[in-house]
Amino acid sequence: MANQTPNQIEQLHKALKLTQRLRSNVTQVFQKLSDGFEDVEKKDKYLLNDLHKTLSSVNTDLSDLEAGSSTLGPLTAASNSTNSTLICVDPIIDKTSTYTQLIHTYKWTDKMKEQASYASNLLKENQFKRTPIQSGTFTKRLRRSQPACCYPQSNVDVLLNSLIHQYRDTMHISVVRPLGSSAVVMIVLGKTLKALLVLRGMVIEWVKVKGYTEDFHGEDGKVDIWSSSRYQVFQKITQHVTAATLHYYAPEMPDIAIKSLIIWLQSYSTLFSTPCQKCGQFLQNGLPPTWRDLRTKKAYHERCKLMEK
Amino acid sequence: MGVVCVYFYPVPEGKSGQQVVDGIQKQIELLGAVKTGNFCVDCETFQAGSGIQNTPQRQVNILHSSEQPASCFAILDTGTCLVADALFDGLMQKLKHYYQQRKGSKIESKGQRYEYGDFIFKVGSVSQASNFKGILVEIEYCPCVVAGDCMNLMKEMSQSLLGSAVAEQQSSFLKTKTDMIYTPADTMSQYLEHFNNFKKATSVNQAMNR
Ligand SMILES: [Zn+2]
Repeated sequence: MANQTPNQIEQLHKALKLTQRLRSNVTQVFQKLSDGFEDVEKKDKYLLNDLHKTLSSVNTDLSDLEAGSSTLGPLTAASNSTNSTLICVDPIIDKTSTYTQLIHTYKWTDKMKEQASYASNLLKENQFKRTPIQSGTFTKRLRRSQPACCYPQSNVDVLLNSLIHQYRDTMHISVVRPLGSSAVVMIVLGKTLKALLVLRGMVIEWVKVKGYTEDFHGEDGKVDIWSSSRYQVFQKITQHVTAATLHYYAPEMPDIAIKSLIIWLQSYSTLFSTPCQKCGQFLQNGLPPTWRDLRTKKAYHERCKLMEK
Repeated sequence: MGVVCVYFYPVPEGKSGQQVVDGIQKQIELLGAVKTGNFCVDCETFQAGSGIQNTPQRQVNILHSSEQPASCFAILDTGTCLVADALFDGLMQKLKHYYQQRKGSKIESKGQRYEYGDFIFKVGSVSQASNFKGILVEIEYCPCVVAGDCMNLMKEMSQSLLGSAVAEQQSSFLKTKTDMIYTPADTMSQYLEHFNNFKKATSVNQAMNR
């Protein structure tokens, strides 16, 4: 309403007053009519006169109002309002706090946007090596390269076939695609363990490690990627391998990421025969050294690895 | 099913078998192992009858284990092992004209079973015809299937539980099976080796007492 001129507001006031007068006059007419006419013979002239007078005042009020409203024109505020101001205008909504909450949310989002931009500026100064940064010279190269999850099936097959041949002496690798394009890679490492990797394009999405005597096929013969090993040692290794997939993850060179993980995984062939490089023992809480260093591939207990750093 | 080592635990003089068993069980419980019921390994010896002359007397040992309740293990003197369904016992009864059960030959190891992480411990008292013979402690490491891979790991576990003197023994049988996949039959062969040692010791004692 703020964008009305003072003149218009005055007109509006006038019209409102006229409407009030009109209503009160109309009420008077009906009041008199409903009261009824007693003693019609004596006062009929007077009563008719009175009715005529009130009706004519109603008439003049109505024409006044019509004349006044024609100068007002349509309400401009309602026509250019957005949905949110409509909520504000709606009298029923006054009882709820929707509108104020909406305003709060807008303010909060604005603030968050501002702080996020500060944070992004700060982070740009400390470049993480694995995070693709959308700035400077990087941007051009990134836009051209394909996202790692969208590599065509043929590319993935070429990579996997080369791995199967390269490592056939140490591990047996097989590939199935039970649900379309996502490859499920099953690795048997010596007589020590079995590992299952689920790929989306060239990204490793899921890892499970089980014992040599356990199987990745459910009772119905289908590939079962969910069930865990019944042995604590392989449950622990599953956690470690999952962590390693994040370490080796490289969206720029997804084939290298898979290769490095598989090379690293080979170091588990000595799972039961190598003591911890930190404490020299085989067992810690009933578990052998379940961690392999990501660079040196040396064996460590989970707790000894923390102490090494 | 993983790799199993069965250890002979000597009973020192002045101590009863039960005392020693209690001591070992206490040690195992201190480690944090949980009791998971009882176990039993038994062995009966059958002798080839006089049906065939001029052949050396052949023996066959029939073993059962509570860990493999549906199976029956038949081991010849030569070490050849047949793993069969539990119904095999009935077949042996049918063969009694040829294979006769040696009287009082039944020997068994019975006791408490424990689980600790991926390990299973069994502390067994060995008895033959209700005479106490000695103690056998079994340690199983379930995730591993090749004995040669986890021998040192097993040694470390047995050292901490049974002391280094006991841990030093290594079954002559296991030494020959270092890179093959370990099977339950291999465990039975270890038990048989120990049972035979107990029997030998008894006969030596008897000879000395005469
Ligand atoms: Zn350690």
